Amino acid sequence: MCRKEKAGFYDMSMWRSSQRRRYGMPLSKEEKQFRWVTIKRLWQELRENRRSLIVVLLTIFVNSLLGISGPFLIGYTLDEMIYRRETVPIPYLLAALILVYLLHSLTTFLQNYWMIGIAQTTVHRMRTKLFHHLQFLPIAFFDKRQHGELMSRVTNDMDNVSTTLNNSIIQITSSLLTLSGTIIVMIYLSPLLTIITLTIVPILFAGMRWITSRTGPLFQKQQHYLGELNGYIEEMVSGQNIVKIYSQEDVVIEGFIERNEKLRNVGYRAQVYSGFIPKFMTLLNNGSFAIIAFSGGIFALHGLVTVGVIVTFAEYARQFTRPLNELANQFNTMLAAIAGAERVFDIMDVPKEDERDAQDIHQIKGEVMYHRVSFSYEDKEETVKNIHFHVRPGETVALVGPTGAGKTTLINLLSRFYEPDDGFITIDGMDIRKISRTSLREQFGFVLQDVFLFEGTIRENIRYGRLDATDEEVEEAAIQANADSFIRQLPDGYDTVLSQDGAGISQGQKQLIAIARAILRDPAILILDEATSNIDTITEMKIQEALKKLMQNRTTFVIAHRLNTIQNADQILVLKEGRIIEQGTHDALLRKKGFYYNLYCMAEKELI
Amino acid sequence: MNYVLKALKPYKKWMIVAWILMIIELFVELLLPFIMGKMVDEGILPRNLQLVVFWGSILIGLSLFSFTSGIINTFFAAKVSQSFAYDIRNQAFQKIQRLSFYELNRFSTSAVVTRLTNDVHQVQITVFMILRVFFRVPLLIIFGCMMALLVNVRLALILTCIIPFSIIFLFLMMRRGIRLFTKVQSSLDKLNRIMRENLAAIRLIRAFNRGLYEVNRFTEVNKDLQRNTQLALRFVELTGPILLFVMNACIVLILWFGHFQLTIGGAGAGEVVAIINYGMRITHSLSMLSWIMMGISRAKASVDRLNEIFHLEDEKEVGQSETASLVKRATLEFNHVYFSYYSGREVLKDIHFQVKNGQTVAVLGATGSGKTTLFQLIPRLVDPDKGTLYLSGVDIRKIPRNKLRKLVGYVPQESHLFTGTIKENIAWGNRDADFSEIVQAAKDAQIHETIVSFPDGYDTVIGQKGINLSGGQKQRLTIARALVRKPKILLLDNATSALDVQTERKLLTALKRYDCTILMITQKITTARLADFILLMDEGRIIAQGTHEQLLKESDLYRQINVSQRESGVLRHEHVAK
Repeated sequence: MCRKEKAGFYDMSMWRSSQRRRYGMPLSKEEKQFRWVTIKRLWQELRENRRSLIVVLLTIFVNSLLGISGPFLIGYTLDEMIYRRETVPIPYLLAALILVYLLHSLTTFLQNYWMIGIAQTTVHRMRTKLFHHLQFLPIAFFDKRQHGELMSRVTNDMDNVSTTLNNSIIQITSSLLTLSGTIIVMIYLSPLLTIITLTIVPILFAGMRWITSRTGPLFQKQQHYLGELNGYIEEMVSGQNIVKIYSQEDVVIEGFIERNEKLRNVGYRAQVYSGFIPKFMTLLNNGSFAIIAFSGGIFALHGLVTVGVIVTFAEYARQFTRPLNELANQFNTMLAAIAGAERVFDIMDVPKEDERDAQDIHQIKGEVMYHRVSFSYEDKEETVKNIHFHVRPGETVALVGPTGAGKTTLINLLSRFYEPDDGFITIDGMDIRKISRTSLREQFGFVLQDVFLFEGTIRENIRYGRLDATDEEVEEAAIQANADSFIRQLPDGYDTVLSQDGAGISQGQKQLIAIARAILRDPAILILDEATSNIDTITEMKIQEALKKLMQNRTTFVIAHRLNTIQNADQILVLKEGRIIEQGTHDALLRKKGFYYNLYCMAEKELI
Repeated sequence: MNYVLKALKPYKKWMIVAWILMIIELFVELLLPFIMGKMVDEGILPRNLQLVVFWGSILIGLSLFSFTSGIINTFFAAKVSQSFAYDIRNQAFQKIQRLSFYELNRFSTSAVVTRLTNDVHQVQITVFMILRVFFRVPLLIIFGCMMALLVNVRLALILTCIIPFSIIFLFLMMRRGIRLFTKVQSSLDKLNRIMRENLAAIRLIRAFNRGLYEVNRFTEVNKDLQRNTQLALRFVELTGPILLFVMNACIVLILWFGHFQLTIGGAGAGEVVAIINYGMRITHSLSMLSWIMMGISRAKASVDRLNEIFHLEDEKEVGQSETASLVKRATLEFNHVYFSYYSGREVLKDIHFQVKNGQTVAVLGATGSGKTTLFQLIPRLVDPDKGTLYLSGVDIRKIPRNKLRKLVGYVPQESHLFTGTIKENIAWGNRDADFSEIVQAAKDAQIHETIVSFPDGYDTVIGQKGINLSGGQKQRLTIARALVRKPKILLLDNATSALDVQTERKLLTALKRYDCTILMITQKITTARLADFILLMDEGRIIAQGTHEQLLKESDLYRQINVSQRESGVLRHEHVAK
């Protein structure tokens, strides 16, 4: 008896995940057949714990047996009392009952205890695997996906899987065991009453089917509208200064109400239908109770059953509807979890960057050659076309040209964020496709325009350039980068904790930290994307000075915006619409009086 | 004041109906064991068929009756909770729109989103449950005990004695359980943060080969999450079996005691049956109790978070000045203005200057010197702590905000565009603008040609942050958005940073046609020179003001900047027109 009382406790954790499940859940319409594949893969994940799983299953078996014997013993005892059959002394029966209850509680705890362990280690393993996998996916994979969506796979989807593993395995096995066990005992006690009790089963199935066929699509719709509302709030709140300045509050509120109404309307219908489920279950509970009492009463009059049997049946009927109910409940959770697991596996199925027959490189001179390289991003027109040039070790190459000319793409190809469609690039004469990405990138130092700082101390952020650097080395690099003085002015100096994306320090200061990172790394090839703006002149001066030091004796690629950087470059590549249209030193290009000459004159004129 | 609960008020009647229906349901359920006991004692044991049929029919009739009220209750409960959630969301969103920029900045965007979706959902579910089961459970326990006492005092006493202890036990376990789950939540937050950083910095991580380092960082937090989750779940799982055992033992005790009573004739068999049945129902309810407490405590946390928003102060409107006179001339005067953020850090100190109608002012200074804040003061996104701003001689705090803002065109540093077409985005600046005005603004902002080069022209849809546009294009669109307003004061916060020289020149020339006062933050001395005068800011103060020539003479810093910019001139070729 009371087998599934703990359902209430489960609900606490389920509640937690159900509220998160709503986040960014794309609607899944995969077919049932495909789901089996997912279930199979989930099982693969569980396999490592299969020994503990067997123990859990055994415990569930014992637990279900004990659960069935409870009501049976009670009925038996009652009959002993009422009819005074005196076959077994009542104190013995009661002692047995206590023992059954004790063991039942114990096994209930143990099965859950172990299962939680299994579920959590599995989820932990899957999460780490997924995260690990993400680290080796091509950059293009991330271009196509929203961060929020990926995040929700690591957290929400995994959370659904975790809930299902925690609950469903136990619930389903134990429900099935209890169901079959109960039916056997019921038939043993009174076949007639069993048949009557079982009449509720088809009613239950028909009813649940009716309800879930309506709730399913409604919940999906609700999800969709919630997502819409979510996006709307995010957009409006992050652009709040614009909303305010342009006094668009009322318009924005109107838009909100419109979306909110949609959510409410579908939410109402979803809730009504899903609200029928517990009521329906109660009806079946009470109804079966009434039917058993009614027909059992009549049978008892004819001496077909005893009062104890009626009591046992009444409790069994409850045990009966409850597992069925659980199965129905679990079904929904499982669907969510399987869909979630599928989304996780989808990512794991994306092939990693190919690193077969890749070699490691160590000391390099820094000679770079582009051999007729062409590249286009996903089905767009070519961003770079037939790029061909040579860079000697230690040279500085300035990339100049309008936005979209392909400057960044050239850098992306060099660092193998993308692979050329045509042509190839060599470093020290070696095709970079033959070099492992890790060892290739180990040779590079990057100072990118949008500096990303991690939540953590400044020290940690600089150390990102070389993880084994000592505190002294970190500070030395900061001094070299002209960052030391401003860092020391911060309240906690190097241990100042930077919040989300380094808020609290200026763009220019972020640049200085990025330069310190690169200095600490001491790379053979430096890649520099000069910041265009938003940096005050004083900081700018410091940056220029630091960069000058950094660029010495290194092959350097600069996406250049500063005249002095360009003038001092060993060669300048002028790019336009994906092609190199001019190439040479500053003086040579000026003599040519072409595109570069015009650019330069314009900039000069501005300065005079 | 609890704004959230107040929102339930309009639905009081509906709630009462829902509760009445719930209580009907409850009583039916409580009557069932009682009737069963009656049936055993009066029908089965004395072998009276009529009474068995009589009580049996009542049992079936009552359960159908209870079902009907349950179904009706569902409609009411869903209606109340959904309407309530809808109201709260609307109110909260409207509240956010009414908040001052300064106040809203206390919350991150994601915090606002969670409050309006997650938290409201949480409260909504709880309201739904309150109307259906939350009260039902304690009532069932109380009335169940009472009914049991009614059936047989001596037998029921065992039951009623144990229940309070069970409740106290439950409560203690819950308290600890909640604390454990809080820990789980904080681990989860950490995990999310690492994940978010990882995605945002994916290129940097690849470039620096830090994939495995990140995996280690993630694994550590993930391990933490696993440990905490395991602990919390296992602890919670402990409660159920213990409680079950106590309650079951209680039933055994009743059986044992009932056995004695039966032999001495102190109780009927039916009474024992009924009390055992009550015991079982109460046991079931007890386990629901922990779930309810959990639900309520979650909902309370959500309510508190929502109230946080409602408790913030609205933008205050002080005065109702006439704006007619302002529209003609827009002279601007800062009179010893000070401003500091909540942290107490003074951002602006003693700002004092005057701009005449139609003048152009360039603001120069290092990042963090307070330029943006200075701009935010003008449309009253923030208000000064000390000192006053005068617009055409009127204290701007006396001007209603929407009227003041109507005069201002603001182009912030970060180009934020909204989902929608380009046309819609420009029209943000002025909803009444007709298409020709929009085109004119776009032409002046030097973006018209780019727009018409798109296949859909002005109807091109742009993503949330204008994803398919370049930085310079976004900047020019936000400028067009400001120009379509025909502002009296135009604020350009580094708004031309991504434009090439030619475009910038053309833009500035086009601006001349607008009869407005312009303040522009810039880093380029070449641009600053074009202004009527320059403000040089440093650490929240204006350290020098005057024309280019004056500043060259008077300010060391300005001279320094000038020299350095000439040396490392910025080649602005990025947006050379095709």
